[in-house]
Amino acid sequence: MPTKLLSELKSKEKGKIAKVGGGGSIHRRLLDMGLVSGSEIEVERVAPLGDPMQVRIKGYHLTLRKEEAANIQVEVI
Amino acid sequence: MNREEILRAQEKSLAHLRSVYREDAETVIADARYGFISGLLTEAMRKPAIERRTISDLIDKVLINRWLGIPIFLALLYGVFQFTFTVSVPLMDWIDEGFGWFADQATTISPEWLGSFIGDGIFGGLGSVLVFVPPIFLLFLALAFLEDCGYLARAAFVMDRLMHRIGLHGRSFIPMMLGFGCNVPAIMATRTIENPKDRLTTILINPFMSCGARLPIYILFAGAFFTAHQGLVVFSMYAMGIILAIIMGLVFRKTLLRGPSGHFVMELPPYRLPTITGLVVHMWERGKVFLVRAGTIIFAAVVLIWLLDYTGALEPIGRAIAPIFSPAGFGQWQAAVALVFGLLAKEVVIGTFGTLFTGAEELGGLGDVIGFDLGWTALIAFAFMAMTLIYVPCMAVIGTIRRETNSWKWTVFVIGYTLVLGWIVATLIYQIGSLFT
Amino acid sequence: MRMAKEITIALAGNPNSGKTTVFNNLTGARQHVGNWPGVTVEKKEGTCRYQGYAIKVVDLPGVYSFTAYSIDEVVARNFVVEEKPDAVVDIVDASNLERNLYLAVQLMEMGTRLIVALNMMDQAESRGYKIDVPQLSYLLDVPVVPMVANRNRGTQELLEEIVKMADGEVQPRKFRLDYGREVEEEIAKLEELISQDDELSQRYSPRWLAVKLLEGDEEVVKTLRATKE
Repeated sequence: MPTKLLSELKSKEKGKIAKVGGGGSIHRRLLDMGLVSGSEIEVERVAPLGDPMQVRIKGYHLTLRKEEAANIQVEVI
Repeated sequence: MNREEILRAQEKSLAHLRSVYREDAETVIADARYGFISGLLTEAMRKPAIERRTISDLIDKVLINRWLGIPIFLALLYGVFQFTFTVSVPLMDWIDEGFGWFADQATTISPEWLGSFIGDGIFGGLGSVLVFVPPIFLLFLALAFLEDCGYLARAAFVMDRLMHRIGLHGRSFIPMMLGFGCNVPAIMATRTIENPKDRLTTILINPFMSCGARLPIYILFAGAFFTAHQGLVVFSMYAMGIILAIIMGLVFRKTLLRGPSGHFVMELPPYRLPTITGLVVHMWERGKVFLVRAGTIIFAAVVLIWLLDYTGALEPIGRAIAPIFSPAGFGQWQAAVALVFGLLAKEVVIGTFGTLFTGAEELGGLGDVIGFDLGWTALIAFAFMAMTLIYVPCMAVIGTIRRETNSWKWTVFVIGYTLVLGWIVATLIYQIGSLFT
Repeated sequence: MRMAKEITIALAGNPNSGKTTVFNNLTGARQHVGNWPGVTVEKKEGTCRYQGYAIKVVDLPGVYSFTAYSIDEVVARNFVVEEKPDAVVDIVDASNLERNLYLAVQLMEMGTRLIVALNMMDQAESRGYKIDVPQLSYLLDVPVVPMVANRNRGTQELLEEIVKMADGEVQPRKFRLDYGREVEEEIAKLEELISQDDELSQRYSPRWLAVKLLEGDEEVVKTLRATKE
């Protein structure tokens, strides 16, 4: 299965989280918000100025900057 | 002894788990928690096979749309201002007249000093601060509505890229915009910024957003000295404030408040209709702080300034301070006194000139009289306007900064750096401008 | 008249879970806003009376988790761990249950006397979610109260559960999440060491402290360093 970084996904693309990287507080924050491996994730839209992005995870909407999304590897479905 | 042992054991355990899982123990633990929850929910909850589109999702399709997101954001912001100021103007007039009436009544009290104290000091001084109660409470009400219905998070989403460029966070944008109304609620609104450095930076640069009280000053001087380009001059003051805010924000973020900006991993909650109780409680909690301060710090300041004025100590003080401002062109004692009074509330700068040059009460006339009596040129007036924009925010804002930063150090810092910056900018304007005239 | 029995409860929950509304419903106008000692985090307290109890309600900052990375989270967890309130009510958004329960699980691991308030039941229903409340309560092994706080529904039932918990009618059972063999072995080692320290094991649950150490929690490490004999 090809993996991509979440930051590379286009609007409406879906996938399954393979790995969450990054260190320290950002890593922890991503985990706490439910971005754990195996979870389904969908990119819903990108902000008008091109960053941050909005995703759907565990049934709710989450926003994060692309530099933060680059910590997440996704198996694209 | 034992505790060192515990910490050593922790290091060992962490290293061991990392070699087993090729992942931090932290990740394994979070996975296990979420694993437990999804197991539990398969037994206790059923979801429809296809998630229903909610009304909230539909609203977002429009409100934070790629193309409409920013125009809608700006329109809403404009709406908040319109609401706040349209509704508060009659209330402000009413408070103003009420205090004015009491002040007039009080002047008949004898002895004369007591009448002056109650009339000019208490009613006059406090009245000039309390007229801000309506806009402050209404601004909070509008803000509470945007916050409670869930739009504030969207506004941060829309503006984050821009704010991130200048080292801040999407959530800094709303407080900066609110600063155009009044810096007091604006600084209080920084509470929604999680990262302490982002928040402190936003507080430190907020006073550069020209609040409503500074507008009358701009209008007075622009009208008297720049008849042909009034609008442009007033606009240039707002622009100058924004540019200074951006520059100082970058400077602080690279020096005193270095460090990464807070991250933007943020929930977009579904839109919800706020409850009236919720809104009122929200508004009251924040607004009350201003009322309490008006009754304490500001009251003390009012008494002090009245005392200086009544005892005739004001002119000597003005004369002592005035030379400092000579390089900026406005080294007259009246200007110095006006700036000192302006600490109380910025529009008092005009009130002070009004008292010092009695007989020229009407705004238009007053500007001309200042030009005639003090010999001010358009250049000096412009430098003075810049000074009133930049130098120490009013007493109410200083009190708010003290409360919100919980630190006298940062409060004194704001007073100091804005004073120095104001002097530098005013002097540069006057000195450089003088080369061309 | 009998003296009212005084108890303290804490309201925990994610941001946007309707925690503030529940707080307003419980305390009405009897609230006080201050700051948590030493930090600029707002502290709201209120009181309410129910069946001969004078209940002090402390509104904890809204958080998603109990890490050491944000002041809000440290303030909230320190209150729960150190002040040991008579009950902790976790306000959970029923329409966003999976992520909201993440905090509930952490509260259970802390050994708190937990009540789960399942708020926004109407939103969950309108999305077509069917939640089996008794089953959820059974699996979590804590009382679960369905609510719609912004229409003031479920407040009585919540007070009922709070009083039961304070009366000792409902006893919280020890909750133990299984982290898998490897992690459990390390937890056991650390727990053993912590249990030998009387002061630590009286203040904290040894297992909770062990898990926090494995999570690399800096606040806990700092506490251990600071109180070194």
